[in-house]
Amino acid sequence: MEKKSVSVTLEHVTKKFKDVKGKADVIAVNDSHFVIEPGELVTLLGPSGCGKTTTLRMIAGFELPTEGKIYIGNEEVTMLPPNKRDTATMFQSYGLFPHMTVFDNVAYGLRLRKVAQEEITKRVNETLDLVGLASYGDRAPSKLSGGQQQRVALARSLIVTPSVLLLDEPLSNLDALLREQMRVEIRKIQKELGITAVYVTHDRVEAMSLSDRVVVMKDGYVRQIGSPSEIYEDPNSRFVAGFVGKAAFFPVKVMKHDKKTWVCQLGEKEVLVERAATDVEVGSEAVLMARPESLRVVESGTGKIEGKVRMNVYLGHSLEAFINTSFGEVLVQIDDPHAKKVFKEGEDVSIDFTADRVRLLNRNDA
Amino acid sequence: MFTKKRILQFCAAALIFLLADFWMYSTLSSNFRSYEDQRNFNEIELFAQTVPDERTEQSFATWMPTVKDIIPGSRALYLTFDEVSFDFKPESGSETNLSLFNAFRNTPNFQKAMESVYYLEPMRLASTYKADYSLDPDTNSFDEISSQVYFVPVVDETGYQVSGAVMILVPTSTATGFNNLLRTLFIVAAVFFLGIMLVLMFTRDPMTGFMVLALFGIVLVFIAYPLLEAVRLSFMKNGTFSLQTWKESLSPTYLIALWGSLRLGVLTATISTLVGYMFAFLIERTSFRQKKLMTTLATMPVISPPFSLSLSIILLFGNNGLISKQLLNLNTSIYGLGGLTIVQVIGMFPIAFMTISGVLRQIDSTVEDASLDLSATRWQTFKSITLPLSAPGILSAWLLVFTNSLADFANPLLLSGDYRVLSTEAYMLVTGRSNLGAGSALSFILLMPTLTAFLIQRNWVSKKSFVTVTGKPSTNLTELTNKPVRTVLEVGAWVFIGFIASLYLTIVAGCFVVNWGIDYSFTLANWGEALARGWTSIRDTVTLAAIATPIAGLLAMLSAMLIVRKKFPGKRLLEMLIMTPYAIPGTLIGISYVLAFNKQPLLLVGTGAIIVINYIIRELPVGLENGITALHQIDPAIEESAADLGADVPTVFRTIVLPLIRPAFLSSMSYTFVRSMTAVSAIIFLISARWNHLTVLIFNFSENLRFGLASVLSTILIVIVLSVWGLMQVVVRDDKLTQKTISAR
Ligand SMILES: Nc1ncnc2c1ncn2[C@@H]1O[C@H](COP(=O)(O)OP(=O)(O)OP(=O)(O)O)[C@@H](O)[C@H]1O
Ligand SMILES: [Mg+2]
Repeated sequence: MEKKSVSVTLEHVTKKFKDVKGKADVIAVNDSHFVIEPGELVTLLGPSGCGKTTTLRMIAGFELPTEGKIYIGNEEVTMLPPNKRDTATMFQSYGLFPHMTVFDNVAYGLRLRKVAQEEITKRVNETLDLVGLASYGDRAPSKLSGGQQQRVALARSLIVTPSVLLLDEPLSNLDALLREQMRVEIRKIQKELGITAVYVTHDRVEAMSLSDRVVVMKDGYVRQIGSPSEIYEDPNSRFVAGFVGKAAFFPVKVMKHDKKTWVCQLGEKEVLVERAATDVEVGSEAVLMARPESLRVVESGTGKIEGKVRMNVYLGHSLEAFINTSFGEVLVQIDDPHAKKVFKEGEDVSIDFTADRVRLLNRNDA
Repeated sequence: MFTKKRILQFCAAALIFLLADFWMYSTLSSNFRSYEDQRNFNEIELFAQTVPDERTEQSFATWMPTVKDIIPGSRALYLTFDEVSFDFKPESGSETNLSLFNAFRNTPNFQKAMESVYYLEPMRLASTYKADYSLDPDTNSFDEISSQVYFVPVVDETGYQVSGAVMILVPTSTATGFNNLLRTLFIVAAVFFLGIMLVLMFTRDPMTGFMVLALFGIVLVFIAYPLLEAVRLSFMKNGTFSLQTWKESLSPTYLIALWGSLRLGVLTATISTLVGYMFAFLIERTSFRQKKLMTTLATMPVISPPFSLSLSIILLFGNNGLISKQLLNLNTSIYGLGGLTIVQVIGMFPIAFMTISGVLRQIDSTVEDASLDLSATRWQTFKSITLPLSAPGILSAWLLVFTNSLADFANPLLLSGDYRVLSTEAYMLVTGRSNLGAGSALSFILLMPTLTAFLIQRNWVSKKSFVTVTGKPSTNLTELTNKPVRTVLEVGAWVFIGFIASLYLTIVAGCFVVNWGIDYSFTLANWGEALARGWTSIRDTVTLAAIATPIAGLLAMLSAMLIVRKKFPGKRLLEMLIMTPYAIPGTLIGISYVLAFNKQPLLLVGTGAIIVINYIIRELPVGLENGITALHQIDPAIEESAADLGADVPTVFRTIVLPLIRPAFLSSMSYTFVRSMTAVSAIIFLISARWNHLTVLIFNFSENLRFGLASVLSTILIVIVLSVWGLMQVVVRDDKLTQKTISAR
């Protein structure tokens, strides 16, 4: 199964769908432009309808870009039909052939390639073994559980040793536990085989735990591309910040910027910030983004924002404090609560920031 | 993909090809022309040598017509050279020849020809001349035929001196016929080439492109072209535009027939809908026991061959009918509106039954339960809930039966008597008076009400029924009748079914009777004679239907896949064209086929091919609908997976689509087979001495009062159709069962 890993390149790809009733076109993907490196697993993450599936289907060849080009490796494939591309797709609904046994499903791609019968038998059994379905060859797909069907689909895609594996929310039909198992499994196999993979999901936990890099999309636009920690720690917009994790936003005015530090006005107080999005300028209105775990609760009057504890939720490894402030309710996560001072419900408190744990974002860029 | 560069490339390639194509065509065409000339000169010179020695009126009169044996259709005129006036004069000849000669003896062309002949050089006049052949007893045509005019010298004994000339008129038709063929060939080549290039250059999936192109080709040639040809010819008279045909067709004589069709349609539709509702209600809304059996029996007439019901009605109630004459000794006639309504209702109520059943089944009976809970009586519930909710179904059923009644051809042909309807009227015009133009005009008049009804049903009623009827199909059923009402319904239904059954039994009885109406003694002789005379027809009919069946099935499924799953320009148009034959009466299709395919380049009339093509085209719509419905229920990801794994479009179709929509495929095929076996309305125009159809033979026997033979053939036909239908039904049912189990997730 050794094969050289290839990259996937989208070059200013736009996809418009004609509306049937002659209304305005739907722009499903808007000027997407990025490279997926060889052997990398990249997730497309975004809310429903943002164009993830459409992007994937263009890479697979089921949809034709309205503009732009797509490369697999160095070869331009924009015009190639799906059957001429070295990709394999796993569909959300699996698309198993209901009139064939599991064995025949998996063997389908090899039969098309006119592989000899013994070779087929050998490889199908190997692949079924790989996905843990060695004894299920004679079953009809409908006689399998969701997770097993999903693995048949994976086996069917892997057996043709595609250069690129495309997965469209492959785990959404599974229960939480199974989902976690399969996630690990898929990642393991993908790494072993060195296949370049594109994974579509709207589940941020899935995206974070699985990928080398994440492409965050909204309304057809790519909003940010980066490693999971990059998009979590250093989001470039309020949308990305809010979509990939919990965050509190405070309106500030940017006063000064020298070398490392930005000085902002938050209400009456001055706040120092060490990280900022590229589009933040001195003198502009901005927002201060803070993750719950990077906020600190301190004695009333000693922090930057005054408030009152509304409720404490104890989670064992951490504690979530909901604090009413003049900016609305703010969630603060206190890790390892036993080692720290915990304020009681109803107590007056203050919230403080650490300069290198908060981030300035453009206020207008929702 | 439509980049400027590509479009330019395409235009350049197209231009080069078109020029080459045209150049080849014109070279070939002029080569053929000169070859033809050379041959004609040779022939005429040979002919000129046979000029009789004694040049009397009598000998010329026998000699000149022999030119036809040399060049078919040509005519000769002998001109003597008059030394005194130094001129050629006609020796003798028919009046037309003389008048023709006089007509252009003064033209410069003629003078040139005469000079040329004087110097012993044969010559052809550069242009063609129109000659009136009307007085020629050999040609039936009343039109002027354009002719080439040849002159060949005749020498005297010396061999050097001209003594006369032979002038010969050769009709250009054979030459132009060939030329037309040539031209068509080159146009077809150009269309093919451009189409293929277009697909190769501008689509990323050429396979789909070619399939779409091929489908368009089929549809344009075999659906659009004949219909347009029929329209065109209904506006032609003697080769020029004229409204004459339409004026005649809209005259009172034929308006009476239109009125007759409409009256029959309304009557049949109304009664059929009532009967159909009764059956549907009995099966969907009561706890009636033998639902399966009743459903099967009540849907039988749909597949029964045409003529069979009429035949049996004639046997029972005709002038010499068993019941009307032998038992009751009545003198009323079954021929006409009454008889027609009876057979049409029996033949068409199943349509209403099935349509209404479908709608009733969809109405969630919890709605009715709710009404009953609110202490409404059953009758009130029926009146205020069930009936209004099933109204779209009722209207739909009415319109469908109405369309069918108007298009019906077989029953009126046997049973109409003095009552006149349009479909048979058109047939009489075509076969009796060879007036194809008027025949097609009448069919178009018939098309108006049928098409209107069809479109209303399609676009309005069937949509409406989706809106009003929501909710899941109900599992538990509410009894909506009390005992006595149900008993009445049940008895009514059984009596009706019993009557139908007795009609079929009558046909079987008819097989074993010496001479129905006169001599009722038992005999087997009918079988021998019917088989002897009908064997080739039976064989042909089965063969042609068997050829058409798989083609129609595959074509339908393929079109369904293209229409449901692929994007291409003109998709709606393609679908509409394929569906067209469903909405238009068979008579019109038959006539338009005769008009379009009895000439070059597609001379198909008289072949078995035209019958097969006609079967396919007419049954394609139902297959397409089946296929589309089936495909809509299949997750597109299944096909996409296959493509993704490397299957091209034909492979996906063969290994995935076809197996998955097998039930639709099989039932479309069985439908095509049955309908082809029992076709009449279009086929009756297309049969030939070589290819006869069983139904037409049955008609001929019935018309000649050979009821025994007609009964035998009908029985054979019913048996064939029933066994094929039954077989398919079993196969499809098994298939549906497995289908259910595999697609259940
Ligand atoms: N075949 C189509 N015709 C018209 N519009 C389409 C078509 N496919 C997708 N769209 C539109 O394009 C946009 C993007 O769709 P897409 O399926 O890519 O979203 P998605 O990000 O995969 O969403 P989800 O998470 O719900 O699957 C949507 O607005 C959708 O309505
Ligand atoms: Mg999607």
